[in-house]
Amino acid sequence: MHEWSIADAVIRTVEQWAEGRGRVKRIVIGVPSISFLDTDILTQAFDELKVGTSLRDANLQVKIKEQTFTCQLCGRRFTLKDVEDQVGEVRSEFGEEYPLHLIPTLSPSFIKCPSCGSRDVMVDNQDVTVEEVIMDETS
Amino acid sequence: MKPLRTLAAGKLKGKLAIAVMSSKGGVGKSVVSALLANVMSARVKTLLLDLDVHTMASAKLFGLEGRVHQVSKRGLEPFPFGDKLGVITLSGVVKDRWVLLPGANQALTMESLLAYSDMEGWDAVIFDLPPGLGDEVLVLGRVSDYLPLVVTSPSKVSVKVVEYLLKFLSETGKRPVLTVNMAYYQCQGQVVRPFGDGRALKELTERYGVPMVELPIDPELEEFVGRIQEYDGPVLEGVREITRMLER
Ligand SMILES: Nc1ncnc2c1ncn2[C@@H]1O[C@H](COP(=O)(O)OP(=O)(O)O)[C@@H](O)[C@H]1O
Ligand SMILES: [Mg+2]
Repeated sequence: MHEWSIADAVIRTVEQWAEGRGRVKRIVIGVPSISFLDTDILTQAFDELKVGTSLRDANLQVKIKEQTFTCQLCGRRFTLKDVEDQVGEVRSEFGEEYPLHLIPTLSPSFIKCPSCGSRDVMVDNQDVTVEEVIMDETS
Repeated sequence: MKPLRTLAAGKLKGKLAIAVMSSKGGVGKSVVSALLANVMSARVKTLLLDLDVHTMASAKLFGLEGRVHQVSKRGLEPFPFGDKLGVITLSGVVKDRWVLLPGANQALTMESLLAYSDMEGWDAVIFDLPPGLGDEVLVLGRVSDYLPLVVTSPSKVSVKVVEYLLKFLSETGKRPVLTVNMAYYQCQGQVVRPFGDGRALKELTERYGVPMVELPIDPELEEFVGRIQEYDGPVLEGVREITRMLER
């Protein structure tokens, strides 16, 4: 459900950026794979919230960003696939609004290194980003 | 472009933001935050946002352990106490579980909590911060022009380190209010000051031109952990004084 907040965030941010620069045609955002965001809800929220803003003609494209985890203790690098079972446990414990869906940067508290079990894990690509803003050159 | 930061800043725009801060831990920030939120909510819709993501004390003070926030289109719904007091805490996301994070994640987690909180219709937001000068102070500074309420205990160590915070805040052009928590207690009509007369603090506040409010020690307070919103003892009197100082 916080897909709505993300759409809101993207609209506010790009509106600010695009002010005085012309008409925006397309926005590409990156969302972390670990949050399992519903991209349909996200684009639907965007399309609803953009009405009446300067982005009313813009489309949203969602890119899923994969995470790389690096254990600071043993040096193991791993991906979401390597810790699928751990993520699954969190999902089944919490249900739909599980913590990593809402706040993916909490992952070091919920995921441990599959080799040594350490929680001292660094993660990249874990926040929502605006990757690209494509302007309407015809206007 | 920082979408979550922009959203957090947008949501906080036009609201009264009060950051309850301290140099040391355990001086009463969370208690003061909770009581302040309660006192202020008598007049304006007040949201307490617990930014101490490791302690999440507000969940314990208000008896919210194990409860999770509903998430609506507008974000994390505050736990309501009546219709003018609300609480948002990470505890309501992680269900009262420990949180351990590398520094960068800590800042991003706080930013997310701010961005995803539903603040619509709330007039004032009180931030219960972790102790010291860490990421959280920077994160908050990026999204709001907060009013600092600095809490200290009267112990010499606290007083020495509180000067760091006052220096930092005055450098950033903020005008803090200082609260000396647990400054005294009443015993058979007598005021007892177990940590000394507080002269060093008085000097400090004069040097920095900072208004100061003293709060008493109240052993009864402990009985209100879990239902702090019902507390109506002598500490609350002092907290009312704080709201008058903040309004000035
Ligand atoms: N004025 C007071 N009288 C009695 N007990 C207090 C008072 N202020 C704080 N306490 C107690 O001191 C402890 C630390 O307070 P807390 O608000 O959690 O500190 P902080 O948030 O600064 O770490 C808590 O157990 C709290 O109940
Ligand atoms: Mg605290």
